Amino acid sequence: MLLDAELRSRLDRLALRGKRRLRGVWGGSHRSVRLGESLDFADYRQYNQGDDFRRIDYNLWARLGVVLIRLYEAEDEMPLQVVVDNSASMGFGDKFPTAQRLAAMVAYLGLASGERVRLVTVPAPDRPSLQGPWARHVSAWPRLERWLERLEPVGGTDLPGAARLLAAPGAHRGPVVLISDLLAPGWDNAIDVIGAVGGGVVVQVLGPDELEPPLSGDLTLRDAETGEEVRVSMGQAVLERYRTRAAGFVADAARRAHRSGMDHVLVTARPGAIDQALRSMVGEGWVR
Amino acid sequence: MSLLAPLGLALAALTIPLVALYMLRSRRSGVEVSSIRLWEGEEEVVSSSVPWKRLELTAALLLQLLALALFALVLARPFFREATLLGPHTVLVVDTSGSMAQAGRIDAARTELVELVREASTDKVVSIVEAGPRARVLAAFSRDAGTLTEIASGIEAGGGASDLEGAIRLARGLATPDRPTTMLILSDGGVEGTVTEPVTDARHLRFDTVDDNLAITGFGTGTIGEGVARVFVEVASFSGSPVTASVAVTVDGLDVGTVVLELAPGESGRRLFPIDAGPGQVVEAALLGGPDGNPLDDTASLVLGGAARLVVATTGEGSPFLDALLAATPGVVRPVGTPPDIVVMDGGDASTIDRPTWVIRPETAPDGVDIMGRLDNPVITFTLPGEPLLEGLDLSTVAIAEADIVSAEGWIPIVAAGDVPLVLLGDVDGHRVVYFTFDPVRSNLPVQVTFPVLGARLIDWLAGSRIGAEAIADAGVPIVVAPPAGASTVITTPAGEMVELDDQVLEYARTEQPGIYEVLYLDPDGERVGGALATRRFVVAESAATPRDIAVTEPERVALGDATLIREWAPLMLGLLLVLVLVEWWVAFGRPRPWRRSATA
Repeated sequence: MLLDAELRSRLDRLALRGKRRLRGVWGGSHRSVRLGESLDFADYRQYNQGDDFRRIDYNLWARLGVVLIRLYEAEDEMPLQVVVDNSASMGFGDKFPTAQRLAAMVAYLGLASGERVRLVTVPAPDRPSLQGPWARHVSAWPRLERWLERLEPVGGTDLPGAARLLAAPGAHRGPVVLISDLLAPGWDNAIDVIGAVGGGVVVQVLGPDELEPPLSGDLTLRDAETGEEVRVSMGQAVLERYRTRAAGFVADAARRAHRSGMDHVLVTARPGAIDQALRSMVGEGWVR
Repeated sequence: MSLLAPLGLALAALTIPLVALYMLRSRRSGVEVSSIRLWEGEEEVVSSSVPWKRLELTAALLLQLLALALFALVLARPFFREATLLGPHTVLVVDTSGSMAQAGRIDAARTELVELVREASTDKVVSIVEAGPRARVLAAFSRDAGTLTEIASGIEAGGGASDLEGAIRLARGLATPDRPTTMLILSDGGVEGTVTEPVTDARHLRFDTVDDNLAITGFGTGTIGEGVARVFVEVASFSGSPVTASVAVTVDGLDVGTVVLELAPGESGRRLFPIDAGPGQVVEAALLGGPDGNPLDDTASLVLGGAARLVVATTGEGSPFLDALLAATPGVVRPVGTPPDIVVMDGGDASTIDRPTWVIRPETAPDGVDIMGRLDNPVITFTLPGEPLLEGLDLSTVAIAEADIVSAEGWIPIVAAGDVPLVLLGDVDGHRVVYFTFDPVRSNLPVQVTFPVLGARLIDWLAGSRIGAEAIADAGVPIVVAPPAGASTVITTPAGEMVELDDQVLEYARTEQPGIYEVLYLDPDGERVGGALATRRFVVAESAATPRDIAVTEPERVALGDATLIREWAPLMLGLLLVLVLVEWWVAFGRPRPWRRSATA
């Protein structure tokens, strides 16, 4: 079970909040980029033949002698897509279980808020993206949970491929929650694309050993996804430079996400990571 | 430097594989990581497929080579030989005479002794003989350095003369047939003539420090009236310059006067002056001005009048000779309405004895004695050898008219004419008894010079103390004890130490320290039933003893065996090895870095 009853109870009291106007397919509770039928006044425009007479503002017509009709805001549902990186690099330590629980938390939060939610995996050169069904009610949660639980961290990562998938013509445009370690080529372009599609949050999951590697001696390091190797003689200076580089990488990811209109949350895969992520999302304004 | 196990050096061959390891390209262990993206900047360029590389002399390699060399050396057990005076079996004869207390000689000897016995081992067995007033073996054939050190540390100089000859004889007796025995004599040479013959297979370690010394060489008292005594003090200077000697005299701890003497170098001075003191009081003299060259001869003490006051009664016929004897004996008073301590029974019925009694030819003998007959004109042919009561007395001219022939089983005849005892010592119902089988009046004994001395000693012995005869003696002379039947003996030494003697022990020999020894006889309930004070004096000759060599013939090298001691370097090298390993660890991992301040702090 990815979410226990106590956590679900806490999530039930929270709600997901969109930070941008949406272009949804179905009506909902989030402000749309379109004008529509809600009670919120938006603007006036000249009457054109065929407009609904009921929208003509007769007071203005009498006062100004110009026939204007009232325009109202439209409200759409928020199609939330949770993209889970299930590449081999996520299989170190507690990274993938943490990523599964994070995805479950966001998905449940969306369902509990009455949004349409879909779970998607990051494709790889040797593996297509798995796309779960759209779900819209909490009653669909067990199905999503089972889908998530079946995922295994294997293979490579094609983050740009995932971005292309989300930006494909006809795809739902809504916020995306990307849960990944971003340890793959093209992560920066992927963030740019996803940010342009619908914004969202980049949840970067890294293990404690990736931030403070417990390595020593002369080693040949092999990449879990690509199989490439590097020879490194560990020493204080090398480890210090690694730490600097790792911190720089996280800072770059945050900067890139913000530039693309997304938020960035760093989660260290250790006990308490879910609470840490939840607090960060509340802080970023995605949850209230 | 030699090696005990040269094969250990073979370990140095490990140098070759060690250097080879450094010349081999390192075989890296593989570790799978989530991504190598963040490690890419650290990649080492490996351009050659040859497994060897040029040797680089790194600090780690040098330290490891040094550590390996040290380890090989440790295994090879390097050692050096240190000269030692110890042979396979060495008897250490330590002089503890009074002269060794001079100017720290005994301290130096003790230090040397401790240093020597620390080298004792299975190959170097050690015996220790103390050459004090009585030679005695302190340790025999010991290889236990700890025990020997403890014994050696406890050695002190006494105030007596040294029986060096006896100690050397004792050391000879410790010679072992299976291993050569040598003797080391730690002494200042003693008083001239102490050792007459050259000592073979021996070495003399001479301790001859000299310091200016003042000594009380004479101290005595005499009674000149009731409660008035005269003190005689003699002080000798062994200093190189004129000195003023001040001697404080105390009676029972109370200051009664000071004697001041101006002494030229090598001169002695004496003074006689009266003091208010009576029998039994302790008179002490002490040089003022603190300890000098020899602190042991700076004090002297004695007990005034010998024994305490005794009430002696006479019964029977009596005689003017007995009356004169008792009147002349110090401390003896006649009974005036008080029960006597001692009874002199001249004739009469001696079948009932209820206190210490001197029985003179009684008509009825006490229990244990049967009168068998009479012998005319007995001639003294026997005196008990070593009997303190008779020490120095000449009885050869004593003529006796007649004496009883007695059978006295369990009594000790100390004077006899053939098989006929003339003077016996015995015990009746726990009371001491002196038995004369002849009447002194019917002999010429009362007119002999020995009579008052013998009489005084007998009275003293009857009083419960046989130490009277040697109450004042040189340090080291044993104190003879004779507790009443069923009583135990406790001796308090001048240092205040209380020693309880076993019932079977009839003398106390540890009297090397000058001063007053208190002898107490206690009944089973702990009540005092008798006792006396015994004084042991510093032997005057020891104050004047100048260091001299003892004639010895040095042992041959064969006898000394390998008179060297093997000292191994291993502990030092192991320590160095440990330091090296720590340095290597520090070079490899442990170099500390200063704390960095957090940017947000």
